[in-house]
Amino acid sequence: MIEVIALLGITALVAFGVRKRLAVVGTMTLSALAVAIAFVIALPVDASGEMLDLPWRMSGLARLAAVILLGTLALLVLAVWVDEPAYNFFPTALAVAAVVLAVLVLTTPIAIYAVLVLGLLVPVGSFTFQVHRNRSVEAAYRHFSFVALGGFLGMAALALSASLGRDQPPTTFVLLVVILVVAFALKLAAIPFHTHAALLASEVPASALALYFGVLVPTTFIAFAQILVLSGLLPAIVQIGKVQDLLLALGIASSLGGAFLATGSTELRRVAVYSVIANLGHALVGIATLSGPGIIGAMAIALVTGAAATQQLLAAGTLERRAGADRPSATTAPLAALAFVGGGFAMIGAPPLVAFPGHFFVELIAYSYSGWMGTALVIATLGVLVAQLRAAMVLFRTAPERWRVEPRPIAGVVGALVFLVLLIGGVQPDGFLQPIAAFADEFLRALHPL
Amino acid sequence: MLLLAIVAVTTLAANSARQLRYMAVAFFGVALAAHLIDDGSLSVSQVVVSVCAALVASTVLFVAAGDQRFGEDPGWRLWIATIVAAATTAAAFAYLRPATGDEINTDLFGPDPSGVTTEVAAFWLLSSGIAILLTARGAVRGSLGALLMLTGTQLLVGMVPGPDLALTLLLSWLQVVVALAGAFLIVNQRAAREA
Repeated sequence: MIEVIALLGITALVAFGVRKRLAVVGTMTLSALAVAIAFVIALPVDASGEMLDLPWRMSGLARLAAVILLGTLALLVLAVWVDEPAYNFFPTALAVAAVVLAVLVLTTPIAIYAVLVLGLLVPVGSFTFQVHRNRSVEAAYRHFSFVALGGFLGMAALALSASLGRDQPPTTFVLLVVILVVAFALKLAAIPFHTHAALLASEVPASALALYFGVLVPTTFIAFAQILVLSGLLPAIVQIGKVQDLLLALGIASSLGGAFLATGSTELRRVAVYSVIANLGHALVGIATLSGPGIIGAMAIALVTGAAATQQLLAAGTLERRAGADRPSATTAPLAALAFVGGGFAMIGAPPLVAFPGHFFVELIAYSYSGWMGTALVIATLGVLVAQLRAAMVLFRTAPERWRVEPRPIAGVVGALVFLVLLIGGVQPDGFLQPIAAFADEFLRALHPL
Repeated sequence: MLLLAIVAVTTLAANSARQLRYMAVAFFGVALAAHLIDDGSLSVSQVVVSVCAALVASTVLFVAAGDQRFGEDPGWRLWIATIVAAATTAAAFAYLRPATGDEINTDLFGPDPSGVTTEVAAFWLLSSGIAILLTARGAVRGSLGALLMLTGTQLLVGMVPGPDLALTLLLSWLQVVVALAGAFLIVNQRAAREA
């Protein structure tokens, strides 16, 4: 496994060298991703090893998430190659792929954290473009600041908690866990730490935005859950209700706030980004319930939301480019518009897509936790539904005399592929949910170690 | 203790520097002193890797400056950052110091196996980094804040039992990436401003 991570890393360096030769760098990037996906699929579950005393293990969740996230990356690379050539994107995608694999298989919390922060910093190069004409460099700088602040604060808290004896006063652990939770909220753009996400949504290229919200944000969420399990901090969280309350508050604020902001947005990208934030709020509530269904729902939401975000953001980018100075409309790119609407179905957790079980589990467990919490999550879902419906209505407000498929309809093809996969997953949810359930078991065992 | 004093003074020098090149040199001083603090677990290979990464990071920032005069005037931010960092270091040390029975060595020279010197340096660097990052107007001071925070984090990670060399390597790579991302932003912000 370490060899594959190294291969992706080295290919990223080579790709940086030849990044302006699109045919070479595109082929190289897709081939490396295909090799990595094949290797992950071929590797048996629970395969493990060690490098420089750093242990790794391919769990069921790691395999599932790796296939989904690397697959999403491959689709993104294909879309950029065909439709929106951006030189820096290819090496960035390969570096992110290496980071995703490392985060998923490493079992040392600080190592996971360090690799994650590295991965979150890499897209800074892809966020920045045509700096004289827009505020992309400001958006990239704000992202850099948030990642650095959250990343190093969280890592320091994690290191301190690992070096402390368990006989410390409870306030010490509360403080450290609170810092860790806030650090992850900063990286996940959870409300009220979402200001950089708002600027990113309007200023950076759609493909880079999809890379961040479609791949890196779900990876960050999975890393958060894994670090909680592996760091041994979960029993302290159970004993001290305040941390659980903080997680629930962040989750509810993100759910309702994200839905509210999505409802008020007129730009397609913002609708997609705020829907992601609302769904991450759902996922945070799921984790905060510290229950089996909540954890399964949370992880499922994080993964499916990433795929849906990729679908919607790529479609939004295509629609904006085709519309030029006008408002994006389905008349200029009907397949991309359909892909955006299809992504909306996944964002709201509509059946029969595989997005449904996650939302259902989290909302159900939230109701059993408290009536008002369940109601808040349902209201948030309704808010996202309204936002997505508004966006769809704006897209299809005008109809041409004859529908004509746009040239190079890559966003539509990617959208159709993602929708098909989510549909197949929804018809046969076991394959998707079982590895997540196995992780939930590990989580619950870490919660009550005896 | 001498190294702790050097860390404090060089941090103040980096914080107060108006030119990015002075800032980069001062940061290398901070990192060098911080990684040489001996808490009894100092390993040559780890020190060499960490110092090399700090040197690369400083060089990247030095080169990104382009010319001698380029930088960011800290103005009142210097005082805010210093006061906040001092207060936060004291508070962090009071609340987060591990309760160990080790004797604290306050000699000017020599190792401090209790780890107090390392912890104070780490808290100081983290607090300074946060204060600089939060008050920064652009990528010049933002990069310095991020690198100081990372150096503080490296000191704390060094105290955790586990795969020391692997973590040192990872954090060193991270430091280089932080410097590269910071330099990229510095160059682009400058291009956008001068357009």
